[in-house]
Amino acid sequence: MNRNYIFLTLLMLVLAAGTVFLTMDDEPNQVDPEILLQEIIQPTRYVSTDQVAKMIIQGDPSLMLIDVRSEDDFQGYSLPRSVNIPLDSLLTADNLSYLGIPGTKVVFVSDDDIRADQMWVLTKRLGYKGTYVMRGGLNCWMQTIIEPEQPSDDASYADMETYSFRKGAQIYFTGAEEETSDGAKVEVQVQKREKTNVALGGC
Amino acid sequence: MGPLIPNGIIGGGWDFVIALLIGIAFGFILEAAGFSSSRNLAGVFYGYNFVVLRVFFTALIVAMVGIMYFDCLGWLDLSKIFILPTYLGPMIVGGVIMGFGFILGGYCPGTSFTGLAIGKLDALFFTIGLYLGILVFSVAFPLFEDFYSSGSLGNVTLTDVTGIPASYFALAFTVVALAAFWGTMLIEKRVRKNMKQYKF
Repeated sequence: MNRNYIFLTLLMLVLAAGTVFLTMDDEPNQVDPEILLQEIIQPTRYVSTDQVAKMIIQGDPSLMLIDVRSEDDFQGYSLPRSVNIPLDSLLTADNLSYLGIPGTKVVFVSDDDIRADQMWVLTKRLGYKGTYVMRGGLNCWMQTIIEPEQPSDDASYADMETYSFRKGAQIYFTGAEEETSDGAKVEVQVQKREKTNVALGGC
Repeated sequence: MGPLIPNGIIGGGWDFVIALLIGIAFGFILEAAGFSSSRNLAGVFYGYNFVVLRVFFTALIVAMVGIMYFDCLGWLDLSKIFILPTYLGPMIVGGVIMGFGFILGGYCPGTSFTGLAIGKLDALFFTIGLYLGILVFSVAFPLFEDFYSSGSLGNVTLTDVTGIPASYFALAFTVVALAAFWGTMLIEKRVRKNMKQYKF
């Protein structure tokens, strides 16, 4: 019994002393360049402005919009529910806590794709999952959601659908007046059936 | 490789299953170590039974040294392990209250359930008190909310605070624990000689 205790005590001491000689790998885990390349060329890392608009309107709780522009730009105009984390302050612990929450989609927004893309690569290198880039940035947002362009008359049904969604989103985000279409102004002529005094039969 | 869920090796839904399995194992070990007896547990404060100290120190140093080797072998990424945030003042006060309750009641929260599971009456009253305490705490929480969240140091480790590598702490702690094993064995022998033997 006592011999076992002595043996275990010595074993534990040796193991604990061994940890001093372990080479602790303190480097943060980085994504392998091959894996990073594969993820960079995946189009699924982008979300369109339409998708973002839809998620904001639906109040999707899994959406986390991060505006990577400077604070001044952010004060000037920003998407609703977005959080401002300028590119240069990404690495503070407070800001990193927004990332890597299971079940949330972090979407980076900048004026165009470039800074959001840089942010995306940095977060990938840090090993975070579930980060995306809003394709085209706020410039594209302006063109598609805030001032959507009316498709030509012979546009496909899908284009018209997109356009009508964008018009709806425009009203949601800007409070613009709904335009009444010409079709609604056409007076509908109701033709009433003339009353007859004659019983038409039947029971 | 590990931790398994954050690294996506198994799905997040498994955490409750794993918690259940670990909970069963933990309860089994507590009971097997004699932790369902309040006399065994409170003995550590009176110097006649140091089983609590030995079991917990053993678990602690094995786990501590073990995960360091796991990290070195690449089986477990220590940077992804959850570290409980440190609140200095509240933790000291909480520790004193916990220790006081431990002496008074003869159980800590976990062991009171192992005692309850084998039908100990004192454990039953302890757990009733436990739930009453939780209720009182919850209701009175606004009174000491400021203190509860004061002195936050964040999710820090001793290495973060002192800059001394974790392995030195591991070695120092192991030496202290092993010294405590042998020291308490001597104390036990001396104290037990002068007291009538309890049956646990």
